[in-house]
Amino acid sequence: MHVVIINGSPRVKEFSNTDKILAKFTEGLTENGTTFEQYEVSDRKQWDAIRTAYNTNKNILMAIPLYVENIPGLLLEFLKTFAPKNDGTQLSFILQGGFAEGSQLRCGEAYLEILAKELGCEYGGTLAKGDNFSIRFFGEQTRERVTSPYKEMGREFAAQGNFKSEACRKFTGPETFPLMIRILVGAMFATVARKSFKKIAAGLGCTKSLKYRPYK
Amino acid sequence: MILVVNTTEDKEISGKVMEQAKVMGKDVKVIEAGNKKIGNCIGCNYCWLKTPGECTVKDDYEEIFKEIIHAKELWVISDTALGFINHKGKNFFDRILPIATMYLKFKGKEMRHVARYKSSPDVGIIYSGEADKAYLNRWTERCAINFESKSLGAYSTENIKEAVACM
Ligand SMILES: Cc1cc2nc3c(=O)[nH]c(=O)nc-3n(C[C@H](O)[C@H](O)[C@H](O)COP(=O)(O)O)c2cc1C
Repeated sequence: MHVVIINGSPRVKEFSNTDKILAKFTEGLTENGTTFEQYEVSDRKQWDAIRTAYNTNKNILMAIPLYVENIPGLLLEFLKTFAPKNDGTQLSFILQGGFAEGSQLRCGEAYLEILAKELGCEYGGTLAKGDNFSIRFFGEQTRERVTSPYKEMGREFAAQGNFKSEACRKFTGPETFPLMIRILVGAMFATVARKSFKKIAAGLGCTKSLKYRPYK
Repeated sequence: MILVVNTTEDKEISGKVMEQAKVMGKDVKVIEAGNKKIGNCIGCNYCWLKTPGECTVKDDYEEIFKEIIHAKELWVISDTALGFINHKGKNFFDRILPIATMYLKFKGKEMRHVARYKSSPDVGIIYSGEADKAYLNRWTERCAINFESKSLGAYSTENIKEAVACM
């Protein structure tokens, strides 16, 4: 099997969480001989090459960060030039977002099924998972720990040919968290998480409060 | 203030909205953004972490953003593509990110970002062209949850009267 993988993030490859996820996913994907080629929508210079790869292959995987409950505007701009394929091409998706609950990905996921139809492709399912906002800020060890579950999903995709298995469904994790967890995590948001965001901001050269209002 | 932003180049749509608003005695402010320079969000997250509240992409969006933070309602007029609003409409929503802060909290059962300003506008969509209306309504609801405001619904340009009645 050969898979054309399209990273739909507008964020440049170096900083893209989707890219880090794909690095692990493709490790698992290729273990038993599956091959792939990967492209980045963030790089407009690749757009013609992506279009060609999309039109000449029948197994396409789009890996997409959730942007305001749907796909990023830049990806929509790119896809609007695509004519429906209607040739049995399978289009599968990796959908990942910042918020941790499965419930936060469902509206975006529902659109991906519509999108596959609009593009005249067979829907190969969506591997949905959140809690990925900080991948780009993590050191190597934490990043490895957070992204490594995707390796197993790469193996799963290679074995099943799509994301419709129970293992993929379970990969999302809880739809919402129980009250006790929400209280604990909520307390962490107000303390530890704020400190760590302030530290990241300071590292980027930020001198203002993160709640600063530039416009009155 | 009821803010209507027309991201299409068809000024007839916003014209009809204004006409209908006049008939119904509603005060709306219309911004024609169809020919404005509004790029896509590049995902740098600087608006949360480096220059809080400020977008690094310097184009015509900033002036509109200054209006959004004072609006009670935000109506976005958009063309459609692939069963959804098109990239111009979607870019408009993606670029709204500085309205929230990096900080997180739980609201009901889900995580949300803490708002940057005192209030966020309710959101409505007027779409021109083919789209999945049920999906657009669902999506507008989700957008509003993120703004901690209310969805005003998604209406086709064939139902402008209905949309204005909800303003
Ligand atoms: C404009 C914008 C909108 C976003 N909207 C959502 C959202 O609705 N839900 C969510 O869970 N994460 C959202 N995120 C977070 C991203 O999906 C998340 O950080 C993702 O890991 C980014 O991947 P990337 O680095 O490959 O772009 C948004 C991020 C940006 C920049």
